[in-house]
Amino acid sequence: MRKYNRYLIDEIGNTYERKNQFLLDIAVLQHEMDTASKEEKKALEKQVQALKKNKKDHPYYKAYKAYQEEKNLFWKKLKEESRSFEKNLDKELSPSLKRYKVKEFEAEKKEGFFKNYLNLNYEATYYHEEAKLERKYYPELIFTYIEKEKKLADAKEQRQKLSAEEEAQAKVRFNEYKQEEKQELKSSIASLKKKRKDKLISDKALKIGKKELKFRYNKALTLKRLESPKKANRELIRTLRHEMKERPKQLKKTLNADIADKRRKIPIEVEKTKPVIAYSTFFLPGMGQLLNKQFVKAGLFLVASFFIYFAAIPYALGYGNYQGDGIAGLITLAEGAPRVYTSMMFLIEGILAIFLILIAGALYWISLRDIKAVEEKAIVGIRPKNWFETLENIKHEGFPYMVSFPALFVIIFIVVVPVITTLMLSFTNMNPQNQSKFSWIGIDNYRLLVMGQGLAGSVFWQILGWTLIWTLVATTFAILIGFVLALITNHERIVGKKIFRTIYLLPWAVPAFITILFFSIMFSPNGALTDIISNIFGERIIVKHSTNLTRLTLIGLQGWLGSAYVFLLTTGVLQAIPSDLYEAAEIDGATIWQKTRRITIPIVLFQTAPLLITQYTFNFNNFSIIYLFHGGGPFNPSRYGNLAGGTDILVSYIYKLTMVNQYQAISAAIILFVSLGVMFFAYLGFRNSKAFKEERL
Amino acid sequence: MENNNNGHKQTFLERIGKTFPFLKRKNKSTLYLSDRQPLTPQGKIGLVIAHLVLVAWSIIIIWPLYQMVVSAFNGLQDGYLVLNRNFEFSLQHFEYLFTETLYLAWVRNTLFISISTALLTLLFVSFTGYAYSRYRFKGRKSSLMAILLIQTIPVFAGITAFFTMHSILSSVLPYFTRQMMLILIYSGGAIAANTFILKGYIDSISTELDDAAKIDGCSNMQIYRLIIMPVAKPMLMIIGLWSFIGPFMDFLMPRVLLTSPRSYTLAAGLFTLVNDFRTMNQPAFAAGGLLTAIPIVLLFISLQSQLVSGLSKGSVKG
Repeated sequence: MRKYNRYLIDEIGNTYERKNQFLLDIAVLQHEMDTASKEEKKALEKQVQALKKNKKDHPYYKAYKAYQEEKNLFWKKLKEESRSFEKNLDKELSPSLKRYKVKEFEAEKKEGFFKNYLNLNYEATYYHEEAKLERKYYPELIFTYIEKEKKLADAKEQRQKLSAEEEAQAKVRFNEYKQEEKQELKSSIASLKKKRKDKLISDKALKIGKKELKFRYNKALTLKRLESPKKANRELIRTLRHEMKERPKQLKKTLNADIADKRRKIPIEVEKTKPVIAYSTFFLPGMGQLLNKQFVKAGLFLVASFFIYFAAIPYALGYGNYQGDGIAGLITLAEGAPRVYTSMMFLIEGILAIFLILIAGALYWISLRDIKAVEEKAIVGIRPKNWFETLENIKHEGFPYMVSFPALFVIIFIVVVPVITTLMLSFTNMNPQNQSKFSWIGIDNYRLLVMGQGLAGSVFWQILGWTLIWTLVATTFAILIGFVLALITNHERIVGKKIFRTIYLLPWAVPAFITILFFSIMFSPNGALTDIISNIFGERIIVKHSTNLTRLTLIGLQGWLGSAYVFLLTTGVLQAIPSDLYEAAEIDGATIWQKTRRITIPIVLFQTAPLLITQYTFNFNNFSIIYLFHGGGPFNPSRYGNLAGGTDILVSYIYKLTMVNQYQAISAAIILFVSLGVMFFAYLGFRNSKAFKEERL
Repeated sequence: MENNNNGHKQTFLERIGKTFPFLKRKNKSTLYLSDRQPLTPQGKIGLVIAHLVLVAWSIIIIWPLYQMVVSAFNGLQDGYLVLNRNFEFSLQHFEYLFTETLYLAWVRNTLFISISTALLTLLFVSFTGYAYSRYRFKGRKSSLMAILLIQTIPVFAGITAFFTMHSILSSVLPYFTRQMMLILIYSGGAIAANTFILKGYIDSISTELDDAAKIDGCSNMQIYRLIIMPVAKPMLMIIGLWSFIGPFMDFLMPRVLLTSPRSYTLAAGLFTLVNDFRTMNQPAFAAGGLLTAIPIVLLFISLQSQLVSGLSKGSVKG
């Protein structure tokens, strides 16, 4: 049953008496019903029904009707009156001043009219208060405006009167002053320099002192410059213009804030007890806001409606697509479409369409929630917000959404959509035979991979095995080298620490692709390192022809490359370990080995663990080193098939499958495997990271 | 360094000093003046070995780099690198690089992509990092989790889609080149991880600063511009620097996305000097590599402490 509360409640919980006697009568009866016995309830019920039936005869309703008519008349009259008032104003006045005067005039009229209905209705109360506030602020606005305008006119007049003679005199004076100041500056700087020479002050002090003197000199000149009448006048005019622009803005903002305050304190009374508008207009965002009389907001939501009905839905239905067929394209995958149309395009456009529909759904939801909230609040007694208040609200609470929106947009279309495409692609049969048109085949690709069958799948487990070995061995090797080097270099008795540190930084600083390619050249059959190795072993050994040797070399090379990063990281941590720990250990008679094992290693490991884990992730996906060194080779078709080489890891295999051999579908399935692996490592990494744990609440 | 308890050794040294006066150390005091403990013989051997290890590793690092420098300037080679022959100083490989290859275009492309990526990343991340650190809004926790998840997805997961997406986008916006797509991919991929790093950094800045600014009437945007950005500058610089260096180092994405040699980045372009038989010129590669490496190495050496602190602060970054 629809129930009315006896009191109106505003946002902060203040209660107000109802002014609508009709609703109050119902509310009283309904209130009595709560405690009444069954029979009494029935009687009361009847009374309520009667009241509702005879609404038109209710005295309050009659009064209200009269008020409505009066009000309409008043608005009409006010419009005419203010128009004639505006006409009678001085023609010379500036348009904004005219506007202010009209506003002031209207406010006076409004105050006079609504004063008579204060007891009838909260709407009248609100208008009355609003008019009162306007009458307070507009005169001030007009006064400041006139005052500034007058000053401005004076200043302009003065500008006409400025004599060239005075100006010239001022210039002469200024130049004299400048000479003097310059002399002083020079002598001050000279004395500073002398102090430096006598070693009374430091280099830095000299630098700062000079800066300060120059700053003071410039400031003095700027001040002196204003003694020129022309310049002073120009500055004055600029200031006045600025004030004329800013001061009214400020006053209007204060007025709006005061009105907003009144809106929060004067309740609203509505007859409805359910948010009817929200549900009846949900299909057209903006409509409900319009009915709630929030016009600017309504405009914004109408734009959203426009997006929904003229972009999102048509796109999803297949209109305006580049090639595809909206969401339907996801099912057909360009089957039966013209030759030039590709399934890939249909797939991606289908996913895009889904995202557009999701966005449209979100817009519907936001709009519905907004209208509902406004209506529900109005039923309780809270006045809807006007645009000024809504804007303030958006500025404060909406801020994080607004500023992260571009990032969200880019993430969705650059990261999420491609990833979902890959995911879907792994359930298709996109391969060299089905490049432009492919179809859904379910989990066949995964089955091939797991069973190790098919052209691309047969080597999957071998490659996965080598990938894991590579990740573990190469990364651990690099970490060990870096760690040991950092330990040694940071020992107190080592000479030339700085030089060593700079040298050890180099493998990290030189772009990896350059060093890898250079090593690759040196390990080629005619390369320098091949010659050296052959000389050492006395027979011709070509690393790149042997799978195992290439693998060993790659691990060594990664040790060379990756140790620098670990070295730097560890050095940073080592330098931060307080030395008293070691001193205490020495007093207790610890040996170097004990100190290292019990103090250094735990601290370093604890602090660098998340970063070291990312090193494993990095190597798991280290495409550059594998591909650039030998293109994943050497090739050994009897063992690794025609698609992969002996040192290919999953990433480089994916690259070959996708870009060279066009087995996109099965490579998508592998990507999923790899991503899950990487995500697992990453999870290990950030599970313990500070950023995740110390979430500030 | 000398052990003064070892009387026998001392007299031996003194004897040497008498016979060979030039070997006698001046002012040789018998007092041991150091706060470190005197070294034992094993310690001395250990110290020597430690130095040897360090020097050996330094040689291992420097030798290939030195070879690169030498071969970049060695005029007695063509097409292939030859390291064992005699050396003759020449700038012909650099000349080749600038006249016969598109090196300058590659440098321009790389700089364009790097700078745009850095700026775009900073723009996105500075806002998201600020919003996530300072505001409690609906959906914050869940979106943070989503960001965590997203940052673990490797960028190449979308390689198959990027190509097609580019053709869709470029049909709507004809001026949308593949390089711009690359920039979007780099900066879009960097948002998640860097948001986390920056959020952590801004979390460590006291909120009293913002509160004071708010009391003085600053809007959210003003707090961002006047308070947070200046204070978070060190971290922003690190993020910007890493985003800037990324495209210099990356090889996979340009290889996938860029198709014409004129649009290559340095990594993809220099690779053609080694890999492609039509354009093969290894000494020119060495020269180009050298030219590319020098500014980056200088950058790294001059900023090494900041880079390292950035590494350990942003402990989520991959």
